[in-house]
Amino acid sequence: MSFKVTRRKFLQTASIAAATLPLAKVVSAETGFVRDPFTPPGSLEGTQTVTGGVCEMCFWRCQLVGKVRDKKLVKLEGNPKSIDNGKSICARGNAGIKLLYDPDRLKFPLKNVGERGKPVWKQISWQEALDECGSKLKAVQDKYGSQGIAMFPHGASAKYPMDFFEKVVGTHNVSEASFFQCRGIRDMAYMATFGLAPDENVDMANAKAIFLIGCHFGENVHVSHVKKYLKGLENGAKLIVVDPRYSASAAKSDIWVKIKPATDTAFLLAVMNYLVQKDKYDKKFVEAHCVGFEEFKKGISHASLDWAAKICDVPAKQIQEVAEVLAASAPNVSVHPGRHVSWYGTDFQRIRAHACLTALLGAIGVKGGFVKGKGVKVKGITWPTVAEGGEEHNLRLMADKYHYAPPGTPTELIRDACITGKPYPIKGCVVWGQNPMQTIPNQQKMVDALKQMDFIMCVDVMPTDITMYADILLPEACYLERYDFIKTGTQWNFTDKQQQYIAPRMPLVDAMFERKDEIWITNEIAKRMGYGDKIPVNSLEEKINKELAGVNLSIEQLKKEDGIHIQDGKDPYGVPEDFEVQLYNEDLADKGYPAVPTYIAVEEAPKGFTRLVYGRSPVHTFNRTQNNVWLHNAMPVNPLWLNDEIAMKMGLKDGDEIELVNSEGVKSSSKTVIKVTPGIRKDTVYMAHGYGSKNPLLTVGFHAGADDQQLITKLAIDPETGCNGMRNNFVKIVKDGKSLDIPA
Amino acid sequence: MTDIFRFLAQSMRYPASEWFNEDFWSVLLSLLDELQWQEDKAELIRVKAGAKDFLEDVQIEHTRLFINAIPHVVAAPYASVHCKGDGTLYGMIAEQTKKFYREKGFALAKENDLPDHIVYELEFLAILANDDPDGQKKFLETLFTPWFKIFKSKVLEEAHHPYYRVVMNLIDFFTREEL
Ligand code: SF4
Repeated sequence: MSFKVTRRKFLQTASIAAATLPLAKVVSAETGFVRDPFTPPGSLEGTQTVTGGVCEMCFWRCQLVGKVRDKKLVKLEGNPKSIDNGKSICARGNAGIKLLYDPDRLKFPLKNVGERGKPVWKQISWQEALDECGSKLKAVQDKYGSQGIAMFPHGASAKYPMDFFEKVVGTHNVSEASFFQCRGIRDMAYMATFGLAPDENVDMANAKAIFLIGCHFGENVHVSHVKKYLKGLENGAKLIVVDPRYSASAAKSDIWVKIKPATDTAFLLAVMNYLVQKDKYDKKFVEAHCVGFEEFKKGISHASLDWAAKICDVPAKQIQEVAEVLAASAPNVSVHPGRHVSWYGTDFQRIRAHACLTALLGAIGVKGGFVKGKGVKVKGITWPTVAEGGEEHNLRLMADKYHYAPPGTPTELIRDACITGKPYPIKGCVVWGQNPMQTIPNQQKMVDALKQMDFIMCVDVMPTDITMYADILLPEACYLERYDFIKTGTQWNFTDKQQQYIAPRMPLVDAMFERKDEIWITNEIAKRMGYGDKIPVNSLEEKINKELAGVNLSIEQLKKEDGIHIQDGKDPYGVPEDFEVQLYNEDLADKGYPAVPTYIAVEEAPKGFTRLVYGRSPVHTFNRTQNNVWLHNAMPVNPLWLNDEIAMKMGLKDGDEIELVNSEGVKSSSKTVIKVTPGIRKDTVYMAHGYGSKNPLLTVGFHAGADDQQLITKLAIDPETGCNGMRNNFVKIVKDGKSLDIPA
Repeated sequence: MTDIFRFLAQSMRYPASEWFNEDFWSVLLSLLDELQWQEDKAELIRVKAGAKDFLEDVQIEHTRLFINAIPHVVAAPYASVHCKGDGTLYGMIAEQTKKFYREKGFALAKENDLPDHIVYELEFLAILANDDPDGQKKFLETLFTPWFKIFKSKVLEEAHHPYYRVVMNLIDFFTREEL
């Protein structure tokens, strides 16, 4: 750059320049400013409290208030009116502000004019983006049928578009990560035992014993749930934690069962068998409510303490001790159903065992037991079912597999159809708030499934890994900027005054840039696909108002009530007379599955490798929070837990930088560090999930720590549900480029 | 100077065919002529002549530099991402900027927009250029220059397209206090 003319000189001749350069003619007539006579702000300048927030940094949905200063959200707090989370929110809840104002967030519709996976983005107008989405999806539908469109939804905002694609467009190929890679197995296993999904409904606050298998509260944080847990401990509940790792919960436990991974079902069977053999189960409850006790008793009779001790690599005495504590505390026992339970591809059987143990202890409908709160039902408004075609193209029915699959279609069936084109091609893909690159094992398979699509659209808040594969990427308003989900429930402690609450999500600030909500986006696409006449509501506000009208409320009223409506509740305790527990489930037997909970051994680690297990970090929710500055600073990497004796043999030290390679040769694309600890078994390594994003768009999360999901390439599929088991992958440690055998 | 700042503000808007057209282009080239920035002019002409779709190239570059991109957003065009904060939008300096507008009797037409976007700041300099040289000086010293320096160097370092390098240098030239 050579500055031939100085600014001063230029300005001296500015009149000449201005005359010769028609600058004003080529600029837009309007500026972004209006005159606004200055008035001293006085006392109004302070911070206002805006009520009605509902957190979505995870899916617990704590109720919030926002401190807003001059249109800017400066702080989030728990809504003091809340009878659920109260004034408390967790670290992630607090850090919602950083998500709101993250400069990496999606702001405008983008079109990929490069390759899938290596995008070259260009901002486009909503008109162009929607026209393209509408016409491309319609073209897929016309050419391949509605079944040619697959959808991967996640989160509250994905429900409305999911209903559109299922009920109106008519595709069965919808796969929710929360079901197929998380809690679907649990819900279906409890359905097959109790006839209802359990959620996390255990009355830990009033329990005499709390029994956790793999749950690691403290690292896994859901505010009111943790409140129940801590209240229980404060009240003297005995805590039993079954975990190969000395987790945050294990650290508070009375009994830590350092179990060999993948053997929990054997452990549970032995506990149940012991209770039955020693007559320490709740006979009254079993007689009144359980079906198939004799078959069940016979079916688990092989599960002696010694049998399980050998399989689980724990002392028989400890299994007995656990059974005795449970029996002594019965029926006031919280046998936790778990949440993320898709571990080994044999999980339906394990979770059935959780439910059966709960029943044997009579721990249902009693203090401390399995108790469902009695909240208010608010009927949702959504699309009418108009698609014809019935079950004709339902991949699950066509395969005649996975008879206990959660709603939707197992992800594997969808990906297989994408890749093979059989039984039919799938050529259009809608991803809404989900990141299937990180939620679904075997990333290469996902890439192959995506690369063959005619069209891919993604709607998200952040540029997650999957968005790199979108042809069109649409920016969504986040949970702090929109109306949405109506959260209902009861007071967190069931022994407090019985109350119910209704808390619709209301915006704390307006959406910035060109971010839109799911109703608007879906409706616009629906119009372009020829379904304009089926649109049930025109805005989120209208939807919420109509739904609230069903319980004689409105947004206006809720605003008056500081965001939460509270009314008298009902006693949640007691068991309905017709409540039935299928200890032996005939229907399962008919379909060829074990009808009594059964332990099924899974593959062992090959020589030199060890099993990789993963869990939650208190500051992250899956990969959704990877790019959050505050949360990142709180825990920038996810250290690999390695047993101290093994580390010594391998010559590794705490803090050593390493990579991992799995038994199928997949290497982690980023590094992490080692945490040397006696608090993990020798045959297991552990790391927190939600790190090491491969997406450079995430300026904070990019390659921070290692991504466990990348190493989960071997797919275990639960035969009853079709869900993915993710803990059957084995790794070696790579240090300075050298791959090191892990001694057995 | 009002027209100059308005022109600079315009040049930092997302390039749309409605304004990023031949008229705009010829004014830009003329401005470079006036300044005797012949090398820059020649480079722009050369790149434009060689482009298959010049508008799209500039759009892609704008998106990559200022919106979302690979390997990452190079330079979000907001003061608070670069200055007096922890790299997020709507930081302290954004609030101070909004306050400054208000004290001068102005507000953003779109209330929810971020006040510290470079387009707004240049438009505001255009307003001040009319009859408030002291205000302009203060705005430049306290609010604009501290972040623009950092922003400019990021863009100059990372820009693939000469258009944004030229625009950065033009903004720099017309907002520098001392020459
Ligand atoms: S537990 Fe934390 S992240 Fe989850 S909803 Fe509550 S405050 Fe938000």
